[in-house]
Amino acid sequence: MSVKIEKEQIKDKPELLLWKIAGSLGTESINDISSKFEEIINQNYKFLIAEMSNVNFISSAALGQFMGCRQMLVEKGGDMVFSGVNLDIKTKLSAMGALKIFKFYNELRTAINAYEWEVEKKPEKVYLSFPPELKFVPAVRQMVSRIAKQKGYSQRDAFRIETIVDEICNNAVEHGSVDQKKNIEATVIIGKEKIELEVVNTSDPNKIEHLKEISNSLKTLSPKHDERRGRGLALIKMLSNKLDINFSGDGTSVHVTKLREE
Amino acid sequence: MESQIELEYEDIKGHSNAKLVRFIGDLDATNVETVLEKICNLFNDGFINIVADFKKLRYVNSTGLGILLHFSKSAKEKNGSFKIANVNENVYEIIEIIGATTLLEIYDEIEEALASLK
Amino acid sequence: MNTPYKFKLKFPSDLDYIPPIRKFIAETLTVTQFTPKFAYRSEVIVDEICHNAIVHGSRSLNAEIELECEIYPDKFEFRVKDEGGKKEDLEKLKSVVKKSDVSALGLSEGNENRGLGLEIVRLLSEEIDMEIGENNKTTVRVVRKREDF
Repeated sequence: MSVKIEKEQIKDKPELLLWKIAGSLGTESINDISSKFEEIINQNYKFLIAEMSNVNFISSAALGQFMGCRQMLVEKGGDMVFSGVNLDIKTKLSAMGALKIFKFYNELRTAINAYEWEVEKKPEKVYLSFPPELKFVPAVRQMVSRIAKQKGYSQRDAFRIETIVDEICNNAVEHGSVDQKKNIEATVIIGKEKIELEVVNTSDPNKIEHLKEISNSLKTLSPKHDERRGRGLALIKMLSNKLDINFSGDGTSVHVTKLREE
Repeated sequence: MESQIELEYEDIKGHSNAKLVRFIGDLDATNVETVLEKICNLFNDGFINIVADFKKLRYVNSTGLGILLHFSKSAKEKNGSFKIANVNENVYEIIEIIGATTLLEIYDEIEEALASLK
Repeated sequence: MNTPYKFKLKFPSDLDYIPPIRKFIAETLTVTQFTPKFAYRSEVIVDEICHNAIVHGSRSLNAEIELECEIYPDKFEFRVKDEGGKKEDLEKLKSVVKKSDVSALGLSEGNENRGLGLEIVRLLSEEIDMEIGENNKTTVRVVRKREDF
């Protein structure tokens, strides 16, 4: 049984190479691995994804060869990871100690997403539209907090983000137009180093002047002590790195940027 | 990155090749890799009989179910066993509707699972 | 017909997003007076449909998944849209949606995952259908009716 290794360049990612591997990675395959790797080691590639969903066997010799490849890439500031390895092979690799050394991803897409996140620091966007009622705010804030934790933010950072989301959404509901009942729209742009939140709602024309007052008072960080919403916005301002409130037509948008602290 | 799952381990008196493992949290596609690694480590260390306490396992999806079936198969291949106990109603329903109750060794109580160890 | 609560979510085609989103749906159902059991089953269904859309329904690197749902007093309806997958994956999806037999899955210890997720969805839902649009863009629609209504 032989092995087939096809290399594939990923568009707009000059440092990343994909190996689509198929067949059996027996002892006889180490020459194939070695010669394919030599082709790439002197080029610009630093990161290698070995796509293994069509691999039916791996020997310890082949694994050893992969470890050597990875070591050389790590010395260049890169890495080698696996995607699509089936459970049986993964169990075998675990016995060989491979799980302690290599990262494994279920799917190729997940591996590429991880590369984009870690290396390219590419942010990701989530959009949510929800009815303007207070009872939905806890689920919204917890979702954003969980997204932050899922993407590696600390418990503490995630909690601060949750507080910010809570206060912005409460504001959006309370100052929203009672008649229109248009959904509130929230956009989260989360990156490795910061998170941005934008919440847009239609405003109650009777409350908009009041909201403008609070917004202005934030510039001097002196909200009125009896003003609950003012305290909320002040809290957002203290927990975040940038806060902008815009009033346009009959809508209000609040934009917050928070840098990752831990 | 993963949704929260934690595994806690405890030795089982009188069975040096067995381990009690408490699953805490949700078992889904984002954390099966971690769980696979941890259970494989136990198998590799000679603990071929695993008793899984699911009292605090809130949630499982088809990917999680798949890994449980895999553990069952792997344990048998080593002449061991993968036993599950204290499954909550919601998790049990998912296992049941897919017809996996006959493929997994499931006990109502942890004591029953422990008593069944050879 | 009562006006339903409407939600819309768009997120990257990445499995990392499924846990927060499925929990969001479950928690939202709970505050709209559905039982915890209903919320849990719905959570599983949303998980499996989104998982399928991500793994099988996203061709491009920067693919997005769209989830829209309506919560009525007596039912929960949602639609997951993806950009479309390979023809063979679509055929597989169609066959599950058309009420295939659980035994046809060939479930065994050595065949752990094939089709399990969608079969769980089919068994827990009152209605499930799919629509394939231009360029294989796929929408899977699921309806769950409230048990105690």
